[in-house]
Amino acid sequence: MNNFTKISVILLLFLSFYANAQDEKPKAISVTGDMGVWYEYYGLDRSPESSIPNFYHPRKPWNTLRFSFNPNISVGKWSIPFNFNFSALQNNFVTPVAPGKQSVWQFLTNPANNFGISPKIGSTEILLGTQTLHYSDLSTGDVGVFGYGVNLAPGKFRFRFFNGVSQRPVNYVAPTLVPPNPGIVGAYQRNQYMAQVGMEKEGKYFVGFNLVKATDKINSLTSIPLPPIEPQQNVIVSFVAKATTGDGWNYYFEVGQSYHTTDLNTPLSNVAVPDFKPFLRARTATNKDNALMLGIAKKGSDWEIGGKFNYYGAGYFTAGYPFMNNDRMEYLANTRFNAWKKKINVVASIGQRFGNLSLLSGPNVTKQLIANINVFTQFSDRFSLNTSFNNFGFNAADISGYKSVSNELSINPSYTWTNTKMSNLISATYTWSKYDETIIIPPSVTKNNTQTLLVLYVPTVFSAKLNPDFSVLWFRNTAPAINLTLLTATAGVNWKIDTKFKLKGQLQYNLTTTSPFTANKNILITSGYDWALYKKLTWQMLITINVYKYGTELPGSSLIPLYTGNPGYLESSVRTGLLYRF
Amino acid sequence: MKKYYLLIAVVFLVARVSQAQITLNLALNSRPQAHLSDWGNPVNGVMIISYSQGAIQIDPAIKLKTTLLDQNGSVVGVSNVGAERVYLLKPGVNQFSIADALQLQNLMLFGGAKIQLQRTGRLAAGQYQLMIEITNTAGDLVLTKQGKPFYVTSYQLPILMQPADGAGLDAHIAQSIITFRWTALVPHQEIQVYRVQVFEILPGQTPMQAFRGNRPLVDEEAIRGATQFIWHPNLAMVDTTANKKFIWTVQTFDSDGLPVPTEDANTQGRSEPAIFNIVNQQGTVDKNKNDQIKQ
Repeated sequence: MNNFTKISVILLLFLSFYANAQDEKPKAISVTGDMGVWYEYYGLDRSPESSIPNFYHPRKPWNTLRFSFNPNISVGKWSIPFNFNFSALQNNFVTPVAPGKQSVWQFLTNPANNFGISPKIGSTEILLGTQTLHYSDLSTGDVGVFGYGVNLAPGKFRFRFFNGVSQRPVNYVAPTLVPPNPGIVGAYQRNQYMAQVGMEKEGKYFVGFNLVKATDKINSLTSIPLPPIEPQQNVIVSFVAKATTGDGWNYYFEVGQSYHTTDLNTPLSNVAVPDFKPFLRARTATNKDNALMLGIAKKGSDWEIGGKFNYYGAGYFTAGYPFMNNDRMEYLANTRFNAWKKKINVVASIGQRFGNLSLLSGPNVTKQLIANINVFTQFSDRFSLNTSFNNFGFNAADISGYKSVSNELSINPSYTWTNTKMSNLISATYTWSKYDETIIIPPSVTKNNTQTLLVLYVPTVFSAKLNPDFSVLWFRNTAPAINLTLLTATAGVNWKIDTKFKLKGQLQYNLTTTSPFTANKNILITSGYDWALYKKLTWQMLITINVYKYGTELPGSSLIPLYTGNPGYLESSVRTGLLYRF
Repeated sequence: MKKYYLLIAVVFLVARVSQAQITLNLALNSRPQAHLSDWGNPVNGVMIISYSQGAIQIDPAIKLKTTLLDQNGSVVGVSNVGAERVYLLKPGVNQFSIADALQLQNLMLFGGAKIQLQRTGRLAAGQYQLMIEITNTAGDLVLTKQGKPFYVTSYQLPILMQPADGAGLDAHIAQSIITFRWTALVPHQEIQVYRVQVFEILPGQTPMQAFRGNRPLVDEEAIRGATQFIWHPNLAMVDTTANKKFIWTVQTFDSDGLPVPTEDANTQGRSEPAIFNIVNQQGTVDKNKNDQIKQ
């Protein structure tokens, strides 16, 4: 099916649905949700403006303009939610930018854009345009797919189907030295089918099968990417079961099997992996592997306890979660409970992760310990204390004997005192962090210590419209060849001029010292307002200016051409948005 | 006696002439791509078979017999003799890809290697030898052979550790400094290139939409080999309208400066991303606290 046909099918489905909606007796129409436009200007002035090396790069596009249109139109029994948010400009980075001007199809299927409509009546939901559909944790649910589909829920039965494009086609462009151009890696169009058949009783249980098939369209490009980017095919079958009992038990189980052809140009072959007819014909580049997830939790009135176990085989791949790390197994136990008349709240977890189970990347399994505990105590109306500790350790699988251990302890007391006229809040946060890396071959130990101290004071005068806050931050990081100290002082204010208009501002001064150099200094000025123009229309504005001056860390004499004095830059941004609530 | 010497010399000469007609040169990259199915790519090398018509005609129809051995010399896999393809050599140079030499579609692997190939399309990391024998079509006469050692390296990408997925960072600290940590690439390499990439999730966007569609606020290389990066955001975070939610990842490059190969090459060596939120922003927590106090 070509792109024109796909768009036509989507429009046809929508129009037929709209025609059905018209058959209903005229009923009250209600619209909820919002729509808006959002713009950001970014500016950068360097001193000197150009130099070798270029000491600071712009970190945002000069102009960003985004539109959102999210009304939910209700006509009688019909509900038609829209989820549009998009930008006419391309700023893609992780996925390739379409060379030149993007075509209509590339614009619609650009992962930065979302054009979704999901009309629903009773237990029937039609899905059109961009949808991010979470079928399960091992099948699909991460990336947006542009296409069409349906969700049906007759009685206890559940049927879901969707067909669309999860990766837009982008032609390969070779890099050039003159003019300097890094080129474009390119990407095949990825078509994705997904289906779910199951049974559900809301709030009680769900059991179902998922089937997801993703295929890269080989002829979707006129200039194909270079290896290792090859056209792929992926089929996932998973079975998922969830249950909740009346006495607070929750269970989760999912098992999945993936068939993944990493290169559709390779010859057909049944030697390693058999065909999975009618969904996939095996090739020499086809792998087959499994994954498993188990979870159990019990919830009481004041407590909760749970455990989970995940296993992802080394060859388990799903196009529904393309960035998922595989070849690992992990278990985690967690708990949350209140004590001492609900004045103490404890959240804790401990778990272990094992990697390289296949031994593909070395002779041993990698091991990782993860432990966290957070204790919050409300000693009195005035005084509370939050303490947290987390630890993670990692042992590599290879002969280098690489090992890293991180320990972090954080203490955060808060004190509030109030009289009839005002309240005062003073809060401090101290964090001590130790991160050590050890290698046996060649022998080396890297000790990395970090301390952070934040003190915050917030006075609030009840009768005043103006509320300030003040904070001081000290940060220190020491490691071999690094001795970094940061000192920050911040003052902020909120000024509620009337019920419709609120001004806000902040001034921050930073001193960043990397020994043995003198400090880099910068001032961050932020100002803005929230203005309720009308009952349903609000206008937000935020202007940020960052003036940065380097110390001896970057002397002007190190630049070409030579620059007298210390280099610096002025970075500015204006962020504004109009939001209309229906 | 001289007759016998002459006969032996003729036999030897015939044999030499026969051998001289087909020569094999297996130019295999000593570190080929991890997925065996990728061995058709030129980066993995090339196999050249030269065929010259001598005084004694040798049948240009040949078969290739492939044997894969581990570092102990034990056979890991061997091609299926009955199903091997028949090649008809043309006079001169005949060029083949390494995939032709490996003939994966016809390679019978044994034991653990068979399961590894089925599950991952790769061999376990280590030293191997690829042995190619050129035989007649019956497969009973070896015309020439050559073996080449190679080393398989397979990587496991770093896992993001800090900020942990879903963590909340205090706005007053985060707008000045955020520390990122991750586990090392496996197998560990001393001089490893990691690039830290941080994306703002703009209003209305899903995390993956921001990750796949936005430009990163940070795309910087960590100190070589280090698994920590300290970012000075200098962004206005104590405000609810901006910089509320971020998604970050680490992109890992191999010693050649290329993204570390993964199951889906489109991900370009990027680890599974993690999300962090900025909390204690003015107008949310602080305002709520004040409201509670007023009540």
